[in-house]
Amino acid sequence: MSTPSTTGPAAGRGMWRVVAEREVSTQVRSKAFLIQSGLLLVGLIGMVVLYTFLGDREQTSTVGVVDEISATAVDEASAIARSTDDNAVLEATRYDDVAAAEDAVLAGDVDAALLPAASGEGYELVGEDGVSPTITQSVTAAVSQLVTTANAAEQDVDLAALVSGADVGQRLLDPDADDAGLRQAASFIFVLLFYVTALTFGLTIAGSVTQEKESRVVEILAASVPIRALLWGKIAGASVLAIGQTVVLALAGVIGLVATGNLDALGVIGPAIGWYVVFFVLGFVTLASLWSVAGALASRQQDLGGATAPLQILLFAPYLIAVTAGEGVRTVVSMLPVVSTMLMPARLAEGDVPAWQLAVAIVVTLLAAVLFVRLGARVYENNLLRTGNRISFREAWARRSPADA
Amino acid sequence: MLQAQSLSRTFGTLTAVDDVSFHVRPGRMTGFVGANGAGKTTTMRMLMGVLAPSSGSVTWNGSPVGAEDRRDFGYMPEERGLYPRMKLAEQLSYFARLHGFSRKDALSRADELLGFFGLEERRDDLLDNLSLGNQQRVQIAAALIHRPTALVLDEPFSGLDPLAVDAMVDLLQREAADVPVLFSSHQLELVERLCDDLVILSGGRVVAAGSVDELRSESEERYRVVLNGQDAAWLRDLRGVRVDDVDGSTALLTLDGLEAADLTRTVVERGPVLEVARVRQPLSEIFREVTR
Repeated sequence: MSTPSTTGPAAGRGMWRVVAEREVSTQVRSKAFLIQSGLLLVGLIGMVVLYTFLGDREQTSTVGVVDEISATAVDEASAIARSTDDNAVLEATRYDDVAAAEDAVLAGDVDAALLPAASGEGYELVGEDGVSPTITQSVTAAVSQLVTTANAAEQDVDLAALVSGADVGQRLLDPDADDAGLRQAASFIFVLLFYVTALTFGLTIAGSVTQEKESRVVEILAASVPIRALLWGKIAGASVLAIGQTVVLALAGVIGLVATGNLDALGVIGPAIGWYVVFFVLGFVTLASLWSVAGALASRQQDLGGATAPLQILLFAPYLIAVTAGEGVRTVVSMLPVVSTMLMPARLAEGDVPAWQLAVAIVVTLLAAVLFVRLGARVYENNLLRTGNRISFREAWARRSPADA
Repeated sequence: MLQAQSLSRTFGTLTAVDDVSFHVRPGRMTGFVGANGAGKTTTMRMLMGVLAPSSGSVTWNGSPVGAEDRRDFGYMPEERGLYPRMKLAEQLSYFARLHGFSRKDALSRADELLGFFGLEERRDDLLDNLSLGNQQRVQIAAALIHRPTALVLDEPFSGLDPLAVDAMVDLLQREAADVPVLFSSHQLELVERLCDDLVILSGGRVVAAGSVDELRSESEERYRVVLNGQDAAWLRDLRGVRVDDVDGSTALLTLDGLEAADLTRTVVERGPVLEVARVRQPLSEIFREVTR
């Protein structure tokens, strides 16, 4: 009548976007969301830092010396030690005389001292009650190398010719085996992260639906926009938030690995991080409609626990499987919807996954997403305007007939 | 014109609304009255489409009402409902945007309505922090936000002080002067003052419907006569009237054949008179009669 600007077939369409926008802007400003995101971010960065420090910390050993040759030997020894242990570093500390160096060993200022042998011939490693094998082996090798080179020059011997053919090279059959710890940690983080994110955002969706029912604003909403637009808006809004948070966390993980110099680690789990985002989107959207339904089944916040219990189990089961199941079971269930979001990235982080398995997982999850969203829409429409007690699942499924709704 | 045609609604074995038909004309305030449980809220929810009727239909301007038509209606549900933890201006503009307003138009419309109730300074307050009366104002603003083509208001005035009622009536007259307005109320004096048309519901059925004047004229014409000090008992002997009550010099009577002009002349001829006045039957009386 007097409202040409708002009537017409366009009204009601595209309204899901307005609904989604409200979901996002409300959540982004809520303390719970900010705190949860912050904690996840801090936790993730903490894991990266922890990994860097625990797994990769340099083990610096100090060796006391009293002359230039010994100092050179220790420097050489450091290089030799590094070739057997990535984290080993040897440092020489100069002392004025043997007595001072021995005092330093006793006082624990240095781990050992490389001193001219008391017999006058050669060197000796002096420790308090023992010398670590790393120091012993590397320093012995370095001194022997230095002295051999010096002796060879003195005797006019071609050292290169002398040692030719004595090289022992290395060929690695499974270079990744060294990363097993990293891979397992990454796989655990993927499983845990999806569990936590899916659960918190799922409960947020359900809670926001129930809140609208409880505050009765749903009657006004239902009179203003198609109920389906409300459902889509909720799913879209929560998905945007959850996916946004996941992308931020994934980026934080990548940046964290780069910043701490763990580029090799990034090479190992980088692809798994990418797949995680893909599977997260699929898995989350599949579940989102079901969370809305759970919210629509509860009439009050108190009923929410019971209404969402089946979904919490649905999330916890794959979590248990992921953590406990054997290889064969994991391979099969990792292609199932929702489970795939937890297990596929985990398996990818642990090693290669055949392409066909990834494809099956994606197709099955897509089918499940379509199916769940359609079922969810029906139950949601049937129950959103029902009030009173919590609605049983059987009741909820039955078409709302005018006689008993 | 919004029309209910033979609307019925059963809940299990209970028939809450039984074959209810009435119309709400544009530019008229239609009062919807009835005792508790008479079926007012159920009928209104069916009008708005949030509850499906068991039988019967709703028409809008002569044709069956569609979802698109209904979205342009304004609705104030019986159980008040807005987002408790959302700021006023944000909340109202959200509803406007759900009706297709642009972000900018939605905000200025929200501010306009808040301004009308003097709530412009509280536009960034959460609804929860408002008094109940103010929450109710925001609720009516939410119903009006999209310049509705019809209004269905369930108990819009309950819990409001007289000044707030006046402000709300002003707003309705300004915002919805030319659209059909249906509002339910228990406060019969208020309905009497505000509404042009009346639908009275009892036990799920319409027991009376029509303009207030029509409903009144269906009842008999009553007059009050106040004489200047004399005893009014002599009126009992007057032919063509039925005296209902005499109290000193005041008599309450119903015309029964005598014309009103003749009554006045007869009384004046007899002696000094202070008042001969038609007694407007209070709505509460009509209500009691038809719901008896």
